[in-house]
Amino acid sequence: MTDARTLVLVIPHWPTIAAGVAYNCPAAVMHMNRVVDATPAAVEQRVVPGIRRREAQRLCPNLEMIDDNEARNARRFHLIVAALESVTPRVEISAGGWCSFPTRGPSRYFGGDQTLAQLVAERALDALCNTLSVTEVPRVIKPRVGIADSRFTACLAAFPKNLPLIQIVAPGTNSQFLAPFPVDTLGNKDSPLVDAADLIDVFRRLGLRTLGDVASLPSDHLLARFGSPGLLAHQLSLGIDGRTPQTHLISDVVTEESEIEPPTDRTETAVFLAKALAEEIHKRLSSEGLACARILVEVESEHGEVCSRYWRHEHHFTPTAITDRVRWQLEGWCHSTTGPTGRLSLVRLVADEVVPDDGRQLGFWGGEAFIDERVVRSLTRIQGMLGSDAVTVVEHREGRRLSDIEQRVSLAVTGFDPDRSVATPEATAAPWPGRLPAPLPAVVFQQTQQLIVTDAEGQPVRVNGRGQIGGDPAHIQGELLGSHLIVGWGGPWFLDERWWDPARKHRQARFQLLLADGTAHLCVVQSEQWWLEASYE
Amino acid sequence: MALAHDRTFPVVDELSGLFADRGIRRGSTIGVTGDAAVSLAVALSIGVARSGGWVVAVGLPFVGSMAASELGAELSRWAFIDRPGNQAGDVVHALTASVDLILVGPDIKLRADHGRKIVARMRERGTSVIAVGNPRPFHSRADVSLRIKRAAWTGIGSGHGRLISRRVEVEAIGRGANASPRRQLLWLPDGKGRLSIIDQSDGVKNSSRLIRAENKKVFSELTEPALRAS
Repeated sequence: MTDARTLVLVIPHWPTIAAGVAYNCPAAVMHMNRVVDATPAAVEQRVVPGIRRREAQRLCPNLEMIDDNEARNARRFHLIVAALESVTPRVEISAGGWCSFPTRGPSRYFGGDQTLAQLVAERALDALCNTLSVTEVPRVIKPRVGIADSRFTACLAAFPKNLPLIQIVAPGTNSQFLAPFPVDTLGNKDSPLVDAADLIDVFRRLGLRTLGDVASLPSDHLLARFGSPGLLAHQLSLGIDGRTPQTHLISDVVTEESEIEPPTDRTETAVFLAKALAEEIHKRLSSEGLACARILVEVESEHGEVCSRYWRHEHHFTPTAITDRVRWQLEGWCHSTTGPTGRLSLVRLVADEVVPDDGRQLGFWGGEAFIDERVVRSLTRIQGMLGSDAVTVVEHREGRRLSDIEQRVSLAVTGFDPDRSVATPEATAAPWPGRLPAPLPAVVFQQTQQLIVTDAEGQPVRVNGRGQIGGDPAHIQGELLGSHLIVGWGGPWFLDERWWDPARKHRQARFQLLLADGTAHLCVVQSEQWWLEASYE
Repeated sequence: MALAHDRTFPVVDELSGLFADRGIRRGSTIGVTGDAAVSLAVALSIGVARSGGWVVAVGLPFVGSMAASELGAELSRWAFIDRPGNQAGDVVHALTASVDLILVGPDIKLRADHGRKIVARMRERGTSVIAVGNPRPFHSRADVSLRIKRAAWTGIGSGHGRLISRRVEVEAIGRGANASPRRQLLWLPDGKGRLSIIDQSDGVKNSSRLIRAENKKVFSELTEPALRAS
């Protein structure tokens, strides 16, 4: 298996780096209400990946929360990969912050694994410093390199933080290196095992606590008891990549290309074309029972500049996943300093590593199969027309102000999931004293509008720091509302949020105003200015 | 043979009385205007999402999602296209092929020829449109127009209380089977933020008018066959 000897480069805390936050201020990247990654400063306060939003806020009240964005991670990773291209042209990107390449050629050229690893670490560190525009970064976010006989082993050599920055597993010693790792590592995101949680649970209950324990069992017993996932787990624990690429199976490498006619400077057009190509490749491969695990995406501009990248998937690519990779690559390329000088003229996709498509068992009650294909298609088409952020879905967050609670998230970020649940007001109401009571306003303006509210004498109505109101509001004037008499009002209700944080604090008094024309509105007073926030339409 | 409920989208019981078919006919356009138009449009689409359909709101960036959720809307089956800009026609056209219900906001303007094409495609595919406010050209093509005739908030005084519920009177006028006007008195929202029918006995003034109208209807139904017979 010397062919599979692989180098893995990992930049720890990449999601936070890509989000552009300084590593010394506490911030966390969130996905689905859970912490995905946190800056070293936040980790010091015990904000670690996996904990819930509320828990993170409790541990670190001034934590800045950023939404995870796979596209952003991949886009900013472009610069790091570009720096490695002087070492080898075959860098494969798995996800933002994590890439790999086979070491056989480069290692011989540069004089051994140790030199190669050092070179890669240096190049990546330089590129990282450039990205952050600093001269020195702390050890926790320094690039980590692992080299081993299989991809899975190399990942395990690179990821853990207690190992040295460069970890080289000598050829043939994979299984000794892997033996002490806990069996949980089979379920890491870099593992080719799909849905491994159940299997790991059984292993643990059987007393198999480390990969060494699993490796010591006879493989035919594991195959008999657990089927192919069991065999794969055994091979992984031995340091063999379970699935060897089957490039020889297909007579010619599946290539699809399309000229962009006329050339365009809009990335969406190229992505749209790539989508058709991806579907064609997928169709051709699946008719032979195959799926694509690594894909080469090449884009050319009319001045002949080429950007080509390998993308790897731990399982296999769906057409949508390929399209995403094309979009990330294009956005990264077009926004970098070495980007194309002309318009885009050609897209080429090459499926250069294929594996047998062992399919995915769906839940008995449908799951993915129930997604209405037509809806997905038309919404994707609209994203193509208007830009990827044009189609949004609702997400309800926790908070007191409507603008904190009601969030629109791009469908491109959440993905299309008909079983997604949106929190209802009842479900989130209890723990936030100071929230608006039901009924809630049916119209919430995305931008608040200035108002002038006066009392019967025409004097502006003020609210003082103690919450006393200067006079009864009697007249209202605003650009959108026009000029009206006020016939009823309720309030003021006070809100003094995050008083400890000068950048995000809110100190406001809220009013409900009923106007002479029968309409009712939610207005706030902040720093002596009245604003129209929402209407009870 | 298509049954009536195959040809219509379900509507919550509180609103079904406004439609001759007890639901929104597939392929039809519903116009909604007046003070509580946004709430009413959201309330109308509850049934579609509950029965597994998809709702897309075009040009309605201001819909309060918490209020919609309070009314009973299943937001997991909603998508929003807030600013379609000058491609609104293409967007609505692309949607008519796939989603069940499209909400169109007041600032959306389609060219007349585009509008005709879309309405024809809606009929063919069975997609319905709820036009909120007066988006061109749907307002003139509405099969049923719902208008909020009266809306009055309760619970708020001057300097005390808060908004609790709103009485609305909805009037539906349409074509064909919906030609005769229908009225419905509703709490939109009631004290809990939901939608409910105003019990006709609790408002003396309105109920007497309703009884009179009811009597008139019963009378006309009684006399009509007689007239026809003669």
